[in-house]
Amino acid sequence: MSGGELPKSLLRAFASLGGFPRSQLRSIPSSRRGLNQSTPKYFSTGAIRRAETIDEVPRSNIAAPPISFSEDAQDIQKAEEQAQKLLKRLRVVPASASYFSAKPEATDDFVTLDTLLRKYSTLPVVPAGHAPRVAWKGLHHYKVKVNEPIGPARYARIVAILHRLNHIHPALMPEEVTTAMARFKRDINPHDIKPRPSVIDEWGRSKGVGRRKTSSAVAWLVEGEGEVLINGQTLAQKFGRLHDRESAVWALKSTQRLDKYNIFGLVKGGGVTGQAEAMALAVAKALLVQEPALKPALRRAGVVTRDPRKVERKKPGRIKARKMPTWVKR
Amino acid sequence: MILRHVALRHARRTLTPQSLRPLKRFVSSEVESADASVQNSLDEVQAIAAHINSLTAAQAPPIDNLTPSPAQPAAVSAEAAESYLLFKHRESQFGAVGSVVAPHYQPHTLLSNPPSPSDVTLELLLASEAHQGHATALWNPANARYIHGIRQGTHIIALDQTAAHLRRAAKIVTEVARRGGLILFVGTRAGQDRCVVKAAQLAQGCHLFERWIPGSITNGQQILGKCRTKVVNEKDEEVPGFEDQLYDRSVLKPDLVVCLNPMENYVLLRECGDHSIPTIGVIDTDADPTWVTYPIPANDDSLRCIQVIGGVLGRAGEQGQKLRQQAAARGIVTYPPASDLKPPAHTSSVASQLEQTIEKRRQEAALIDRTMSAEEPQEVENKDDLEDSRDEER
Repeated sequence: MSGGELPKSLLRAFASLGGFPRSQLRSIPSSRRGLNQSTPKYFSTGAIRRAETIDEVPRSNIAAPPISFSEDAQDIQKAEEQAQKLLKRLRVVPASASYFSAKPEATDDFVTLDTLLRKYSTLPVVPAGHAPRVAWKGLHHYKVKVNEPIGPARYARIVAILHRLNHIHPALMPEEVTTAMARFKRDINPHDIKPRPSVIDEWGRSKGVGRRKTSSAVAWLVEGEGEVLINGQTLAQKFGRLHDRESAVWALKSTQRLDKYNIFGLVKGGGVTGQAEAMALAVAKALLVQEPALKPALRRAGVVTRDPRKVERKKPGRIKARKMPTWVKR
Repeated sequence: MILRHVALRHARRTLTPQSLRPLKRFVSSEVESADASVQNSLDEVQAIAAHINSLTAAQAPPIDNLTPSPAQPAAVSAEAAESYLLFKHRESQFGAVGSVVAPHYQPHTLLSNPPSPSDVTLELLLASEAHQGHATALWNPANARYIHGIRQGTHIIALDQTAAHLRRAAKIVTEVARRGGLILFVGTRAGQDRCVVKAAQLAQGCHLFERWIPGSITNGQQILGKCRTKVVNEKDEEVPGFEDQLYDRSVLKPDLVVCLNPMENYVLLRECGDHSIPTIGVIDTDADPTWVTYPIPANDDSLRCIQVIGGVLGRAGEQGQKLRQQAAARGIVTYPPASDLKPPAHTSSVASQLEQTIEKRRQEAALIDRTMSAEEPQEVENKDDLEDSRDEER
């Protein structure tokens, strides 16, 4: 056999598989190892000698026997027969024991939690209100997840069990309870989001922000002699009315710390009284950063709550927010 | 809101003894009066002080200002766990010392370890108050054959009748379970949920302890259409690949219904009757025995009696399942197989790949056979020809 060519029958076999274009096949070098070296060269005009076909090449002892492709058909037939046999052994059953409740997943959840609660009911419990704060999934959230017609009363029972399970002492909390509760927790626990605590900076300043009606104020408090500067003006210059001046620094006045702190304030929006009340809240918040223990005193002074009142909107059918047009008998 | 001179304005009103006197009557020594705002404020201060003191240890801060905060760092909680485990160990070792506890009725055993049909005795039924019927004026005369007599104005159910009917019902449940039937245990009264769940678990059936939705059988496709079903073989192993066929399939119906409170489930029993589903029910002296196929005359108002009956039927189902599984282990299928199921359509990618490779090798085998055998083999030059040949073979 020449160095470059494979037997034609083999070439045809490869071509029929559609793997290689015919032009490439001719250039595939034949390895001397796979084929019998004593195969003589043949002329292209001669008939294909049967000895050239792979099957009838005299086998040496080292090569493996050729592949018998006809066995695959038997395998496929066997597989089909097996499939038919399997069908005769099958039956259809509900996936869950709660099938006939029409809400299998929710019922299964309830049964699982109830069983867990009973199993671990004797474990020590933290006092009420001291368990880690968890925001359980809302009913709408759970309904979307399970896609079942569960009502608020039934879901409330599930949440009641979860609430009780959550109170098991954290040192003794079993793993399966944690896993069961995780299904009902929101992806983001809103109780984990805590506001950044305000701090006193390196110059001893604390900041507070307050709002009232449409005014907003920012106040910085620093230990000092009792100077007040609001928008670059002194207290008397900024607020002409005594009541407003008192309101602005009420947090310090009510706790008798007027001479202990200096205030620097920026206030904008609204009117005079609104700005004064906004300052009051801002100063109170800044003071709380400096002295957190004053909170109950300031609350009693009425300066910790943000006054939510604002101008009521005008409604259709009325002249103003409340004023109605003159009543006509007919 | 800033309140100025509050004490001056309101002090007289809050602090007069007349205002506090009516409150003292309704308030215990531990609970503070809501009106005493000054007292509340002082508590707030104390709470905040305690909270500040325990700032280093705040693992779970209290939810409001009034709850005293705990002083429990992480080390203390580990100690708590240790001490609890030690307590439990000591209790197990020395708890029974010095006491001799006679055998007694333990209610939880009826649920954790229910009696089997062979444990049914008249003593057990009597102890679980199965004989207590209703007032004689409320009876249903159709139950006359089950009544033993009258005592203190109420009917007494004959316990030999109860036992006989219960054993018959148990045999039915066993046989239905052995033949792969779906058994539904229903108990919608308060307190019956645990019994029903346990019975269904033993018999590998279904349970229902909340309201039966009317139409679950007659209008099943609407009500139960979304509930998932699965295909299992004789060994109770799930066989995947039938999901698309199950999607189009009709909804399942139970083959036997065991109802522990038929008086509240008329609609369910009616639907079962309309669809030729046999029912077993606990029939009291005021119930209608014709509502169920196999009545069990007993007291349906006693939870203990219901737990005994439910437990016995659950165990009967368990025995039936065991027989079925033993037959399955020997290769015998005791149930008629599901009709109109086709071989799975290879929804998974692995299965489809397998099919493709088998198909491919089949093509190659056929072609190579052709090239080997024929003198002038047909050369397939185009892929289109290949596809045509594949279609022909299909």
